[in-house]
Amino acid sequence: MSDTSTLASTQATKPPLYRDAVVVKWFTQVTALILVVATMFFLASVAGDNLSAKGVATDFDFLNLNPGFNISEGIDVQPATGGRALWVGMVNTFRLAIAGMICASLLGVLVGISRLSSNWMVNRAASTFIETIRNIPVVVQILIWAAVFGGLGRLSEDSEFLGGFGYLSSKGLSLPRVFVADGFYQWMVFIVIGLVVGRFVRGQRIRLQEDTGKITYPNLYMLGVVAIFGVVGWFAHPMFGWVGSIFEAIGDGWDKIPDIGMQLLLSVLIVGAAARWIKGFLDSKRTPVGLAKLVDDDYFRIIFAGVGALIGVYVAMLGWPGLSSWIVNSGTDFWHLLADKFGDGRSGQPIDAMLPTLSGQGTLLSYGPQGATMTVGFAAMFMGLTLYTSAYIAEIVRGGILAVPKGQSEAAAAIGLSRAQALRQVILPQAFRVSLPPLGNQYLNLTKNTSLGIAVGYADVVNVGGTVLNQTGRALPVIALWMLFFLACSLTLSVIVNTFNVRMKIVER
Amino acid sequence: MSNVATLDTDEVDPDAPKLPPELPSLPAGEWMRKNLFSSLGSSVLTVLFGVLALVVFWSVVNFMFENAERDWDAVRANLRLYFTYAYPVSQYSRVWVSFGIILALVGLTVGLWPPTGVTSIRKIATRCLSLGGVIFAAALAVQGPLQRDAEGVLIFDEDFEAVRGSWSSGLETRIWWFVVAAVLIAVGLGLWFGYGERRRAVFVKTSRIAYGLFGAAVLSLWVVRYGHYNGQAGQFDYADPDSLVAMSTRIPWTVMWVLLGVAVLAGGALRSVGWIKRAIPFLWLISPFVIFWVVLRDPALDYGYVARVDVPMYLAFAVIGGLVLYALTGPELGEKGRAFAFGLVVVAAFTFVGGFFGWFAMLQKARISFVMLAAFALVAHNFAGEKAARRGYVAIWAGVLLVFHYFITMMNTPSTLELLADSFLGGFMFSIFAAVFGLMFSFPLGVLLALARTSTLPLFRIMATTFIEVVRGVPFITVLFFFSIMLPLFLPGGMRITEQPAGIIGLVLFSAAYLAENVRGGLQSIRRGQFEAADAIGLTTAQRTSLIVLPQALRVSIPPLVGQAIASYKETSLFAIIGVIDFLRIANSVVPNQSQPINFIGHKREGLLFVCLLYWAGSYAMSKYSQKLEKKLGVGDR
Repeated sequence: MSDTSTLASTQATKPPLYRDAVVVKWFTQVTALILVVATMFFLASVAGDNLSAKGVATDFDFLNLNPGFNISEGIDVQPATGGRALWVGMVNTFRLAIAGMICASLLGVLVGISRLSSNWMVNRAASTFIETIRNIPVVVQILIWAAVFGGLGRLSEDSEFLGGFGYLSSKGLSLPRVFVADGFYQWMVFIVIGLVVGRFVRGQRIRLQEDTGKITYPNLYMLGVVAIFGVVGWFAHPMFGWVGSIFEAIGDGWDKIPDIGMQLLLSVLIVGAAARWIKGFLDSKRTPVGLAKLVDDDYFRIIFAGVGALIGVYVAMLGWPGLSSWIVNSGTDFWHLLADKFGDGRSGQPIDAMLPTLSGQGTLLSYGPQGATMTVGFAAMFMGLTLYTSAYIAEIVRGGILAVPKGQSEAAAAIGLSRAQALRQVILPQAFRVSLPPLGNQYLNLTKNTSLGIAVGYADVVNVGGTVLNQTGRALPVIALWMLFFLACSLTLSVIVNTFNVRMKIVER
Repeated sequence: MSNVATLDTDEVDPDAPKLPPELPSLPAGEWMRKNLFSSLGSSVLTVLFGVLALVVFWSVVNFMFENAERDWDAVRANLRLYFTYAYPVSQYSRVWVSFGIILALVGLTVGLWPPTGVTSIRKIATRCLSLGGVIFAAALAVQGPLQRDAEGVLIFDEDFEAVRGSWSSGLETRIWWFVVAAVLIAVGLGLWFGYGERRRAVFVKTSRIAYGLFGAAVLSLWVVRYGHYNGQAGQFDYADPDSLVAMSTRIPWTVMWVLLGVAVLAGGALRSVGWIKRAIPFLWLISPFVIFWVVLRDPALDYGYVARVDVPMYLAFAVIGGLVLYALTGPELGEKGRAFAFGLVVVAAFTFVGGFFGWFAMLQKARISFVMLAAFALVAHNFAGEKAARRGYVAIWAGVLLVFHYFITMMNTPSTLELLADSFLGGFMFSIFAAVFGLMFSFPLGVLLALARTSTLPLFRIMATTFIEVVRGVPFITVLFFFSIMLPLFLPGGMRITEQPAGIIGLVLFSAAYLAENVRGGLQSIRRGQFEAADAIGLTTAQRTSLIVLPQALRVSIPPLVGQAIASYKETSLFAIIGVIDFLRIANSVVPNQSQPINFIGHKREGLLFVCLLYWAGSYAMSKYSQKLEKKLGVGDR
């Protein structure tokens, strides 16, 4: 664009308005924007008319009302409010997604390496696995797994499994449960201190290794230090009971913030961020000679940042007054929750475990204090998602390994590493770097695919939301909450992957 | 090496298909030593994976053919349901006509561009032998039938294991498996030893083998009595005199087989006719619309109305619009033409928006025709020049308008079908239509989004990026819920939309976002020099994009685009969750609840496995095709 403007300034006659590149460009864009916004407003007004004609409300009140249904599994099977019910669904989604990610990664790396094996049998088994799993829709696979697990026998004394440690039945797989108990958070203080000290020790050992050339096992030392702190903390953790009162004080102070103060704080933060951005942008345009000539795109960015900040301030001050009081209230709740968790009275064991026990014939609480049950829904989702994702991960790992230049494995062989060592120390780290971005995409897909729980009755966030939707008829709020939740998940995941990606990047000279 | 190659080309017929090099194979012992038992670790792995493969094979076969537990009649009896759901029986011949249209197009395409794929006799023989071996092993692997008492309840022993009959007691039900395995093995051995050492050097066209296999399958309909499901009697029988021909299998399939062959021959004969080759892509493009709105829907046309309104309207727009466009393509026109075109745009936009508020009575078709004319007028200056080019542009206008008016007329005419459901689409037919329509509409949208996202215009970039990232961040199922629940609310009063089209709109927007990312990858691979060269020879932005950048970018992104097509095809299975009776829903909910005329209650796994098989076959074929295409395009090589 800069050449157009310099051209225009060098020529004596400016082109007519409808031929001016800058005018035409902005006219088209603004027209398009107005069209899009007008269409949205039109659709929204039609939807509003339709909704009010049908008597359907679009408020979020259901979040604070009794949902009127029980959830089949999760941290709270009888949620008191709709918001709590959705939270239980979200936790179930996380449970499934995290378990799936770990297992799919392990399986995927194994299959991906097998796919490159020179052994015909191993190679063929891996490629058959990939080609079969990848080409069948994941929802069909999940339904088949559900049919398989649903065909198991009734839950009774006879469905004992692993010598009394579990039950395998049409209700799912019940396993002993390890859970966070009373003193866990105080114990975590010890672990954190252990990590800090361990990191220091690790640095010392690495320096020693570099100085003397001897193998000094830095990671092992760090692990040992953390373990020592953990063991000591197991018995000594009540000494950190005073941590709770700090949080108590912060919470009390937080509660005293008036709404207008929070509103002002938010506004200042928004304006400050915009001003900082604009300053940074102008600095980037500064050359040793002075500020470079700004073209229309640069002005647009500055105006965009300014208008964005103004809208933000409007929302914080007038548009959504509930926002700041919500931040104040939930902040207070959060600090008081922490104060309770770290509180003085918690002197029990940090971690406890339990066996699943039958309470009466054929009943077993699904995910409660009596043991963790992998319900049929969870098991089917877990199997389906893990296998499906692992097939994709295997292809990514294979591509990553193939992308490592052959010279790397030859060099590893030349310095006398065994094939296993070369794979672990030379090939896989480099392959990991190539495959990280697509791997992050697969994790994201897995998280999104947990929404298929509705097909087999697994109580994930979409399934719970669907029940809420049917009970209350609040279609728009529920769908908006789903989308926000998944957008937040994908944003978080991509931030994590990007952070790793930046850290893993080769530092080039 | 190069000497050998030049020597070879002197002898080989240049028109002959390029043969894949057949590597000489090692003797069996040496091959096993090299590939299976090269070291101790490798031998252990071989044994381990061999046992694992056998266990998996054994359990899959037993899961599929558990005697007395699996009733594959649940699939066999409901095949029509699976493929066409509630399509009215009296009009069933329309389904065959639709299938015939597709086969004729396939045949013409194959005849015009003969595929070059070949397979050696050796490969065919080994395929036959291994397939026969697998079937033979499967026949042996099935366990004896589960034992039941007089009330049909499974019998358990004291260890709570279900009691089974002896292995041999179930064998007689699988006698046909052994026959098929024996035939396959015999054919394989015959080819292997019949050709001797020449088996490596003799090649057969793969397309011929496929046509032959299709023929053999059709022939088997006449020889083997697969059975015909008789709904009234609630059982299988072999002759149903009252049934329509279209409801039978032998004659229609034979007609289809012959039709395919004739189409291939016709395509071969027409190879020298230039315009046929250009028409084929266009025919492929409109065939889904013809099949959906004209053939399957059977519109009840009122010819009097057509003659009074539709034809005059078309003629008016074609002639007047043609004259306007001819004038606008005049080389001397300059700025004035643009101004006039812009005025036309304003008029068109005004009439179009007026339609939403009911400002003045006008057929919707006329409003949209105005918009089309404005769009044609806007780009007319690109076609300015000689008289032939100008006439060509007017002809394109008349042709596009004809197709558009034809389809609008067809869509606006009510259907004559007597339906039990919202739509005649259901089962596999729905899945295919959803995938095809989804892809056809999402492709142009995806290209537009990709162009907007890579554009230098910041507002377009922001809007496109927001749309793409939001859509890609949420699961497809929430998009489907959004469109099936919310879309009816966004419509002004009087309009309604059912779940099927609402879901397909969701699919279009969803896959457009993903397609846009694939196309963006292609766009970013275009070198800067290409843009600069286009600018240097004075192309406008539109010309640069459509003539220089997009062709190269799309060529690069073909493999990921096929991947996206596979993904869309698999995603159609999610329609089952929002309540559309698609392929998966029939297997998962319809058939397992069927008690009349035969009781199939609870028989879910057979249907799910069948659905698995069809989805697998479709996506596997597409992915193999994409790998071939990737090699052929040589994307990585340039």
